[in-house]
Amino acid sequence: MSIARSSDETGASPVVSATDVRRTYHLGEPVHALDGVSLSLPRGSFTAVMGPSGSGKSTLMNLLGALDTPDGGAVEIDGQSLTDLSESEQARLRGTKIGFVFQTFNLMPRLTAAENVTLPMVFHDTVDEGRRERARTLLERVGLGDRLDHDPSELSGGQRQRVAIARALANEPALLLADEPTGNLDTETGDEIMDLFHELNDAGRTILMVTHERQIAEHADRIVHLVDGKIDEIESVDGDGR
Amino acid sequence: MNLRESLRISWRSIRGHKLRSTLTTLGVIIGVASVITFMILGGAFTEDILGDVESENAPVMQVQTQTSPEAGTGIMIVDSPIYTESDVAAIEGMDDVEYVAPIGELPAVQLSNGTESVTGGFTTVATNGVRFADSDLYDLQAGETFSAADEAVVNNQTTQLFDANLSVGDEISLSFEDGSTKTFTVSGIVDEDITGQPVQPAVYTPLEPHYNTTIETPDGEQERAYPSLEVGATSLDTVDGVQENVLAYFENDADARQLKTDGDTIQVQTLDDVVDQVSGIIDQLTVFIGGIAAISLVVGSIGIANIMIVSVTERTREIGIMKAVGARKRDIVQLFLVESVILGAIGAVFGVLLGIGIGYLAVSMLDWPMIYPLDWIAIAVAVGVGVGVVSGFYPAWRAAKIDPIEALRRE
Ligand SMILES: Nc1ncnc2c1ncn2[C@@H]1O[C@H](COP(=O)(O)OP(=O)(O)O)[C@@H](O)[C@H]1O
Ligand SMILES: [Mg+2]
Repeated sequence: MSIARSSDETGASPVVSATDVRRTYHLGEPVHALDGVSLSLPRGSFTAVMGPSGSGKSTLMNLLGALDTPDGGAVEIDGQSLTDLSESEQARLRGTKIGFVFQTFNLMPRLTAAENVTLPMVFHDTVDEGRRERARTLLERVGLGDRLDHDPSELSGGQRQRVAIARALANEPALLLADEPTGNLDTETGDEIMDLFHELNDAGRTILMVTHERQIAEHADRIVHLVDGKIDEIESVDGDGR
Repeated sequence: MNLRESLRISWRSIRGHKLRSTLTTLGVIIGVASVITFMILGGAFTEDILGDVESENAPVMQVQTQTSPEAGTGIMIVDSPIYTESDVAAIEGMDDVEYVAPIGELPAVQLSNGTESVTGGFTTVATNGVRFADSDLYDLQAGETFSAADEAVVNNQTTQLFDANLSVGDEISLSFEDGSTKTFTVSGIVDEDITGQPVQPAVYTPLEPHYNTTIETPDGEQERAYPSLEVGATSLDTVDGVQENVLAYFENDADARQLKTDGDTIQVQTLDDVVDQVSGIIDQLTVFIGGIAAISLVVGSIGIANIMIVSVTERTREIGIMKAVGARKRDIVQLFLVESVILGAIGAVFGVLLGIGIGYLAVSMLDWPMIYPLDWIAIAVAVGVGVGVVSGFYPAWRAAKIDPIEALRRE
């Protein structure tokens, strides 16, 4: 543990890379949410981001997921620089290359589990017939093959998060971004979700996960420590956190 | 995103807020329903008044004088006697003219039958017998036209003035302004209920010897003259030609042209023209009232916009989610527009149904024929959808502008 590495040391052809990104919020006093962060996520890696509340973890995740644009620096997703893209191209990219998982699940309340999973395909104009089948496959993969037509309100927290993960995988994204995915779950359910992340990572999926729980962070290969919008250290995790 | 998919998602959202969606469409429903109701009432009224006339169209035209009053607006019929015997003879000589009936009012004040008498409330007209004998327009229900100086034709309304209804062969007497009294035998009873409008009781007498109004013609002679003429053409095919000829005559040669007051106009109106005129006036009135009703559509439109804005605010988080999973601005716009168009269309459809229902009830209570204003139904549905588009645009644009990060941070 505790081996600091500079971010540019990571492997070639990263899925996502951020170079000296800055993000400042102007609400009265300017807040430097991110203050020159460089980070790249090698293909197949599992990275955790830790840091105190307000240290810029969510901001970093939003920038890497093309949900936000940096005030300085550059973000590349799958070799594609975000600054070159129009707003709608960014939306397109977000839908196809990125899968988001949030602390509060963020399912569409009036759509069923299966419909929630098809949503990214709907916006991506995937052929109609394939969608439902794909949603079924994905929900089976997260262990919800028997909950296809349930509304989110009929599901437990852990089940909702599984639906959210299935939805994040809908368009076979290059990167799974999870912001405190276990934050609203009890420890046992949280561990189940982490097991699922492991399975996905073992199958080759690149994952970036924000958390402030050490025990959850240790599931990853490495932990990026953020303090005040800057990378404090990048720590490799020995062995398997499972 | 394809349209079917946004229809499905929008429909889900509408059904998810049943009460709110219902209240939203109510404005459009009321607007469209009132427009349709008024259009049905207007159309039914027209049909009620003119339906019979159109089926009983006859090749008959009326010649009369019109003036525009100096003060105020509109037109008035002038009853100064300017149509001379020469004019009558000239028209009688034209091709395809079946008859010319001068219409000369007599100043009778009292009508009596036996011991009963009626003062005022009726007209007495001197005319010629062919008007009843040859016209396609008037049905003689009983008897025949007058053939002697002391015979008269009365209309249905006159027979009902007396306790024992008048019938052919009865004696009636007319008292005039100058105190004289003349006695007539009823030779025929005429049905004048053609236009569906109320008909005044009338007594028709021969011109000779009762009508004596004269005027000095441009040639300096005294000639009998009438305030209006009725001209019958031989058939419906010839009536338009006759109308043109008569008009041309009055524009160029007639005595009446010189006898009329400057600024007055001589008008030759066929029954068709009258029908057109009346239905034109009712149409204008209907459109006017319908237009007022349409204002409620504006209110309905504001209602949709208002609810949609509330709905956008409420669904900020959902919009954030959709953007996070790849929705573009135009996808969001499409979703909200489709939703408001569905609301508008539902409002229009139910509004049309409600309008037809209310119209049907009203029309059956008034005993008018039911009509289905298809053009207005189509317009109402189009307007309803249009209201949906217009009122959805601003909320949809606001929705599309929402910053996904802000939206997702909201609890
Ligand atoms: N939309 C925003 N407007 C203003 N300040 C913001 C906004 N989003 C984040 N911040 C500020 O930026 C800093 C980093 O926020 P965030 O990335 O959410 O932190 P974390 O996820 O690590 O708790 C915080 O000080 C926060 O208050
Ligand atoms: Mg956060």
